Amino acid sequence: MNIIEIENLSFYYQADKPVLKDINLTIKKGEWLTILGHNGSGKSTLAKLLIGLLRAKSGTIRIDNEELNQNTVQSIRRKIGIVFQNPDNQFVGVTVRDDIAFGLENLSIPREEMIERIETYAQKVSMSEFLNKEPHALSGGQKQRVAIAGILAMHTDIIIFDESTSMLDPKGRRMILDYMKTLNDEGVTIITITHDMKEAVLSDRILVLKNGEVLKMDTAANVLKDKITLEKSNLELLLPLKVINRLEEKNIKNEELRSYLWQLSLTG
Amino acid sequence: MKNIVIGRFIPGNSFLYKMDPRTKIIALIILMISAFVLRGFMNMFIALGLILLLLLLGRINIIRVIRGLKPLMFLLLFTFTFQILFNETGPVLIVFEQEASWTLHYSWLNILAVVGVVFFWFFTRRFVRFRLLYLVATLVGSIALLINLQLGYVFNTGDLTIHQNAVETGFFIMMRLIIIVTLSTILTLTTKPTDLNLGLESVLKPLKYIRINTEEMAMIIAIALRYIPTLLDEANKIMLAQASRGVDFSEGKMKDKVMQIVSLLVPMFIISFKRSDELANAMEARCFVPGNPRTRLHQLAWTYADTITIIISLMALASVITLRVVGINV
Repeated sequence: MNIIEIENLSFYYQADKPVLKDINLTIKKGEWLTILGHNGSGKSTLAKLLIGLLRAKSGTIRIDNEELNQNTVQSIRRKIGIVFQNPDNQFVGVTVRDDIAFGLENLSIPREEMIERIETYAQKVSMSEFLNKEPHALSGGQKQRVAIAGILAMHTDIIIFDESTSMLDPKGRRMILDYMKTLNDEGVTIITITHDMKEAVLSDRILVLKNGEVLKMDTAANVLKDKITLEKSNLELLLPLKVINRLEEKNIKNEELRSYLWQLSLTG
Repeated sequence: MKNIVIGRFIPGNSFLYKMDPRTKIIALIILMISAFVLRGFMNMFIALGLILLLLLLGRINIIRVIRGLKPLMFLLLFTFTFQILFNETGPVLIVFEQEASWTLHYSWLNILAVVGVVFFWFFTRRFVRFRLLYLVATLVGSIALLINLQLGYVFNTGDLTIHQNAVETGFFIMMRLIIIVTLSTILTLTTKPTDLNLGLESVLKPLKYIRINTEEMAMIIAIALRYIPTLLDEANKIMLAQASRGVDFSEGKMKDKVMQIVSLLVPMFIISFKRSDELANAMEARCFVPGNPRTRLHQLAWTYADTITIIISLMALASVITLRVVGINV
């Protein structure tokens, strides 16, 4: 079942400089899709269009069989959440508890249920003991986890991670990636926007954007070894794949090493 | 820049801390009105004594309260002097007669000149080396101005007569200001800014009848409170970045200082706008629609103690009004 269907989607700020051109894309329920692309390729714009922060110039977006327009944007935002890049700029509450509550307050959830959900989802992202902490006492990774809890508490089916790990230290990033994996296993549809190949490799499918157009759309494994596509969009091959390429160049044939390196790159 | 204290809240534990913020705000308003109705030296001192008792029972650091009164000193002295000079009702208490060569000329323009001098002193004193000397010079200069200047209509010369009402009214105004500031200091010392915000929102709710949305205002204040530490952090970073390029924030002339502040303010503005844009996106993405009904996680609970507090403050108001009506103004 397709949870997101995008047809002929275009967007521009100035008509002669399109940001997105004729994007067609379907995402299945429970799928993990990565949108790869260099800076300015339109990947963040796509995320903002999906959640209705920007309005498409042409084309349609259907989320869970509901077409996104002015009347449906509020009900669609209940189904789709987004974690932005900067952990500081999306922390609305004065404390962790208040921040998780923010979305629930907007949905007019009764107070008792709100408290229950806050406890549940804080536990889920291991932030239970930080509920009364203020944002400046938290690390970037912890703040992003709070953002995830805030979205999960709203019972959304789809979560977009818009470069959510790019401002975190390796440990914080690892943890967020683990949560993505867990959530995906539990059936949450995940869209990650990144230019980090290590993150992309974890997903089911990869969409490569270049200058607002779809350059390639394939399974993660197929995109990762596609040297030409990646070079075109200023992305770097993963280290094990680079090693495989070098081995080929030097005519060193060792099937065992090759398959091991390939596996290594697929596990991130 | 961790653990920044916003506002003047000092963590503590007493009945004043546990009280509902709405109660504190309403009681503060009632007691302020009482302070304005109050007259009489004895009554004033009794009121001050009661406030002192409140401070002791609430385990509030009195030194902090007094420190809070310090900025008021200028205003207090100013109003008192004004009363002494210009209130000419009631029986005469003392008359200072002046020699002819030392005649002081009181006219509105002269007084304006003196006020100008005093203001000049007030804003420039921090840049002057010998502050006490500067103060004395300002005072002597002001008197000299009054002696030598004769601008406009001179309505009073030389003799200074002090009337009873002048002393009384001046004193009462001083006491009332002290009482009001002390009371509001108690409120801000014992209430967290977020609770204060919540309380204000709740108390001001009737304003919706004149189309002022208090919920939105409270949201704005809450976000401002949330972002003060973040922006301070940012300001610190920018200052360090500018310092590494040779900007010295601590020294230099007035003109240089202005330029230095500009080099801090411009990036701060840009960053704040960028932040608020991203924050607005994040809020909207989480289904926030300004003006839509929302449920609240933090709900204030009204207890017996709160009702009693309000009754006590109403009783204070009632007794003050009774004293005034009956005419016990000792």
